[in-house]
Amino acid sequence: MPPLHRSFGLVAMLVLLALWALLPLALPRHFLDMTNFAAILGVGGLGVALLLGQCGIVNIGQAAFYGCGAYASAYCTTTLGWPAAAGIGLGALISAVLAAAIGYPILRLGGFFLALATLAVGSIAGVLFFEWDWLTGGTLGIGGIPKLSLLGWSLNTPERYHYFVWVVLALALWLAHNLVNGRPGLAMRAMRDAAPAAEVMAIDMHRLKTAMFVICAVLGSLAGSLFAHYVSFVSVQSFTVERSMLFLLVPVIAGAHSVGGVVLGALFVALVPEWLSALGDFHQVVFGLVLVLVVTLFPAGLMGLAGGLLERVGRGRSTR
Amino acid sequence: MSFGLLQQAVLSGITNGFVYALIGMGMAVIFKGSRIINAMQGEFAVVGALVTVFTMQALKLPYALAIVAGVLAGALCGVVIELLFVRPMTRRGASEESFLLLTIGLAFALAAAALYFGGRDSHMLPGFGGPGVLELLQATLPVHAAWLMLAAVGVVLALRLFYTRTLLGLAMTAASSDADGATATGIDVGRMRLLTFLLGGGIGSIAGILVTPLISMNYQMGIGLTLKGFAAAILGGLVNPLGSLFGGLALGLLESLAVVGFPSGYRDVVALSLLVVIMIAMPNGLLGRAGRSGG
Repeated sequence: MPPLHRSFGLVAMLVLLALWALLPLALPRHFLDMTNFAAILGVGGLGVALLLGQCGIVNIGQAAFYGCGAYASAYCTTTLGWPAAAGIGLGALISAVLAAAIGYPILRLGGFFLALATLAVGSIAGVLFFEWDWLTGGTLGIGGIPKLSLLGWSLNTPERYHYFVWVVLALALWLAHNLVNGRPGLAMRAMRDAAPAAEVMAIDMHRLKTAMFVICAVLGSLAGSLFAHYVSFVSVQSFTVERSMLFLLVPVIAGAHSVGGVVLGALFVALVPEWLSALGDFHQVVFGLVLVLVVTLFPAGLMGLAGGLLERVGRGRSTR
Repeated sequence: MSFGLLQQAVLSGITNGFVYALIGMGMAVIFKGSRIINAMQGEFAVVGALVTVFTMQALKLPYALAIVAGVLAGALCGVVIELLFVRPMTRRGASEESFLLLTIGLAFALAAAALYFGGRDSHMLPGFGGPGVLELLQATLPVHAAWLMLAAVGVVLALRLFYTRTLLGLAMTAASSDADGATATGIDVGRMRLLTFLLGGGIGSIAGILVTPLISMNYQMGIGLTLKGFAAAILGGLVNPLGSLFGGLALGLLESLAVVGFPSGYRDVVALSLLVVIMIAMPNGLLGRAGRSGG
């Protein structure tokens, strides 16, 4: 079974890579906008996926850090006139410090209580973004955020951004993959599946969780910066609890245990509501029900479903 | 800050506190009976209120009958959700996170359904006892607010009697604290959980109907109500509907008095920060008995 799996995986990977490279040639801008947004959701959703899949923590507050990144980028590049990299860096730094300061106390909670604490953090951030209009522009927002440029090549069209943002997501996924399969990943798996045993092995669970929360926040902040530089305009409407839900949906829909599933989840969350929007207001009902059905019927997400099917096919062949 | 303003702040804080308490009681009932934190309790309130509004407008039913319809709609929602989603997931032995994700997803779907069927407009119901106000010292209180407080106290007392004095209430408590033991004494644990959701949905609707004469109701209010109600329930120790009443009042008062010191936009910040701090520092709530795990 492994050889079948591996060669299939390699072919699929190459096909996807070719598709990705050719996508801007074949598709209208409107569609590229959505896939770019999917990649941004993927970066932020990856953080939530790491928390959910590796530590079993439901984070409903990612929009707080997404907002930190976006506003840091917006404020630093427009009001202060700093280079974009400084804004991105400052956003990540602020998010990391905030996440450590908030995470350290709240990660003592577990299950439902921790999830609702993150929801509370996200809601508080939403109110502060609204109230601190000297910094965030409130509902009017901040406009005129400059586009990113790499080595003098301005990323000022969706086509160009496509080649940039997906590479960023791929890099983040690669780093996350290494993290999950390295020592910290093993420690987290131990923590998730057999907490007392992990403690006996001298794994400092609280520190590990806090570190993961910080990583999640930094990814959220990076996604916010990518968003701000892509759309050139940020306002409070982008950093609500609903946005936190979208980030949470990315791993929930695709399956929290596979880092690669984040791509599938992000595409689903970004594209499916758009396709359903032909149904008018009813599309949100359908989307909500799809989510509920995924949670009820496929607890391992769409990737789990695909994995189960592959396994069934493989088993069928080997018995024959 | 004059004395009159302070009185007004205290009165509106108490009124809001009773609203949070009603939402919190529904969550406490569902948690008590199923060990699930119901992240869609606020949506029950929205459903109850909107069904009441529309049966009055469209079917021209008298107010009292419309209220009955609203409460039944909320209870029915609870039953349908238990049968369709909670029951299969319990049978599979789903994790705590899955149940939370389920109720979040349902909240999302119900809010969207409320938007689709009810539209974007905000709605209000007429107040019980007319639109008048009571004058207390230097402050005023809508007559309806007094009715709301009475009703909330009534619900708490009824729940208390139900859980301690009736066979059914005792059976529901038994089914959730020791499912195997309850089954051995002939209690149908599944049916008790179904009744738990029926009760939770009904209480959620009552909360929504009681709020709507004071605050206009629309499709996206559910999540805010859920968070405040959860804070009230947590303050009260979560398994105890009576605790939710104290939790709600404490939260409402603190919020409205905080407005005296902070700009009014920070009301939610105060309430939610308090929620987080209480969860960490006082895991058993203000009353400190029973605890989250107790019956």
